[in-house]
Amino acid sequence: MSQTRSNQTPAIGLDIGTSRIVTAERADTGYQYRAQLNAFVSLPYSSLTESVLTKENVPYSVLAGEIVVNGTESERFADLLGVETRRPMAKGVLNPGEPESLTQIQKIVEQLIGPGKGRRLYFSVPAAPAGSEEGVSYHEASLRRILMGAGYTVRSINEGLAVVYSELESSSYTGIGVSCGGGLCNVCLAYMSVPVVSFSLAKGGDFIDASAAAATGDLTNRIKITKEDTFHFNGYFADKKLQALSVYYEDLIQSLIAAMKEAFAASRSLPKLKRPIPLVLSGGSTLPGGFRDRFEAALRASEFPIQIDQVRLADNPLEATARGALIAALSE
Amino acid sequence: MAFSRRNQVVTRPALERQAQYIGDPIEKLHFLRREMERGAQDVYRPWWRRLLLGALVIFSLSAILPAPVVVSDVMRPGQDFEAFPGRVQRQAAGGLGKVWIVEESHEYEVYSNGLRVDNNYAIENQRRFYQVLNRVHSMQPAQEWRSQPVGIVFHTTESNLAPFEADQNGMLKRLGRSVLNNIREKRSYNFVIDRFGRVFRVVDEADMANHAGNSVWADNEYAYVNLNNSFLAVAFEAQTEPGDGGQSINTAQVHAGRVLTQMLRSKYGIAAENCVTHAQVSVNPFNMRIGYHTDWARNFPFSELGLSNNYELPLGSLSDFGFEYDDTFLKAIGPRVWKGLELGMRRLEHAAAASGRSVADHRSLIRERYRRLYSAYKQTGALEESSNVTN
Repeated sequence: MSQTRSNQTPAIGLDIGTSRIVTAERADTGYQYRAQLNAFVSLPYSSLTESVLTKENVPYSVLAGEIVVNGTESERFADLLGVETRRPMAKGVLNPGEPESLTQIQKIVEQLIGPGKGRRLYFSVPAAPAGSEEGVSYHEASLRRILMGAGYTVRSINEGLAVVYSELESSSYTGIGVSCGGGLCNVCLAYMSVPVVSFSLAKGGDFIDASAAAATGDLTNRIKITKEDTFHFNGYFADKKLQALSVYYEDLIQSLIAAMKEAFAASRSLPKLKRPIPLVLSGGSTLPGGFRDRFEAALRASEFPIQIDQVRLADNPLEATARGALIAALSE
Repeated sequence: MAFSRRNQVVTRPALERQAQYIGDPIEKLHFLRREMERGAQDVYRPWWRRLLLGALVIFSLSAILPAPVVVSDVMRPGQDFEAFPGRVQRQAAGGLGKVWIVEESHEYEVYSNGLRVDNNYAIENQRRFYQVLNRVHSMQPAQEWRSQPVGIVFHTTESNLAPFEADQNGMLKRLGRSVLNNIREKRSYNFVIDRFGRVFRVVDEADMANHAGNSVWADNEYAYVNLNNSFLAVAFEAQTEPGDGGQSINTAQVHAGRVLTQMLRSKYGIAAENCVTHAQVSVNPFNMRIGYHTDWARNFPFSELGLSNNYELPLGSLSDFGFEYDDTFLKAIGPRVWKGLELGMRRLEHAAAASGRSVADHRSLIRERYRRLYSAYKQTGALEESSNVTN
């Protein structure tokens, strides 16, 4: 039946994260993902820069006297020219200091999935920050507008809930989904597919990168590359950059667990769960080797208010949110 | 989403169990989102309106629905094939004569047929709550959830035994207490009949015992997987004797087994064909062979307990779920091979022929069905079997 539904109206799951934009679609043998960095670089136009880009096979556009490279190639271009990338989003929402934010997101989404033609699309939005009344309405409404403008039938889904839908089918979509992305960590406790407690924590990969860069005096981009290429949890680091990353990763884990403890303990809507529930971790910030073990150890030591039977990484941490959004769209 | 008056999310265990049967993740999510949304509407509807609505639905359905028609993929109607042998066609419990409770206290109960049940080892466990599979509708789970037992599985404790002699009295009693404590701790059976024919209630009848997690039985209408939930467990303090592989119980135990079976059948309306032995129902999901446990693989005194020879009943494990048997199992049965084995295989062949598939293809198809069920049950933790001295 689901196959029929999906064939009649091809659906798309879209994860618009601070760091990456990921799409998920149904393919013959499972799911197909596409991803681009949610970043861009612009430089004043010069024929020299243009020739470098052409030589390096970097796609670019020339707009109002500027050369713009967006998506995944922007990072390589920035590294090539020794500049920082510009980010359409910050801390999980549209970057208020970036006037080009919506335009660039629109371009990246167009590159990934093309025009909508009425297709159903679920896109991820973060939950409101823990302990804050501040919402994400502007962010959500702005994205909805550009996606509808591209011809999609649009609905939004909480990012943590999307992780639950992607990873917790075996527990009938009961458990805790955690997505640690670039700007935020999103958490959702769901019971039988229904979100019960959701919140976000304003710390993520960018916080780690920026804090470590400040501590070491290095460029944020370089720290990010070090983090993604070589960092892992092993308890001792001779390298200063790795040591700094370790400190701020630990900060992230402790802050996240403390926020979860507080949110769950304070919630009056939690169901009386008869069995321990699973917790699944996803997102780019969970990728370093040993993250899961360190997180579980900290969780077990924390007198967590809910019994957890397993802590595991998502099968594909970078694609879990988009996959969950797609599953939500297909199950409608 | 359903919330209690304190604004707390209401758990829905029945829905959780239903969802476990849905294999496709998208279908499962579709089902849960729909049902949880409905639940939110229901919780704001007064209870008397829900009751009235339910009664109206049942009344309307009973008025308009025709009698059920057999359309199973296991056995098609009109085939020249006898489902259950004539002698053991469904024997309702109605003809037993009613057995009622005469006297009861915390320590014991006395029934009108002379049965005395000792409650001193009684203990609670998880409540029974299960769905049966509708054999006449392609093994779809029946809509309603049940909490009453539908059958009895007879076991042996396989515990150490002393010679049944007067001078062994002290040892006999010590061993009896020891096995009862062990069974109580592991919540293995609902009832135990000791060497003196005394009947002890262990796991409360309303609760499941951990006696036959990996198990299958089928009557004409329904198939039952995981009999912990759906069948009561009665264990005789006895041991499979080496050599001939049979069990022997004494006259007192036979009598106790008879009056206990009468009481349970009378109380729960249990059909005779659903009173079976552990060897008949035990399966091994890992090698897809029947007879993982072989207690009462032969010599069970069916007639002395007021039952027909249920070894003649076709095995649903073979016909409905594609299990097979091997030489080890045939050795346990002994020279008098159950007619039920042959009938089970014949059912399988008929179903394969009716579906236009080879037996091998049909078997692998229905094995897949079992694996899905097994996987669903495993996730709920319902397949526990005690692995103590008992079988």
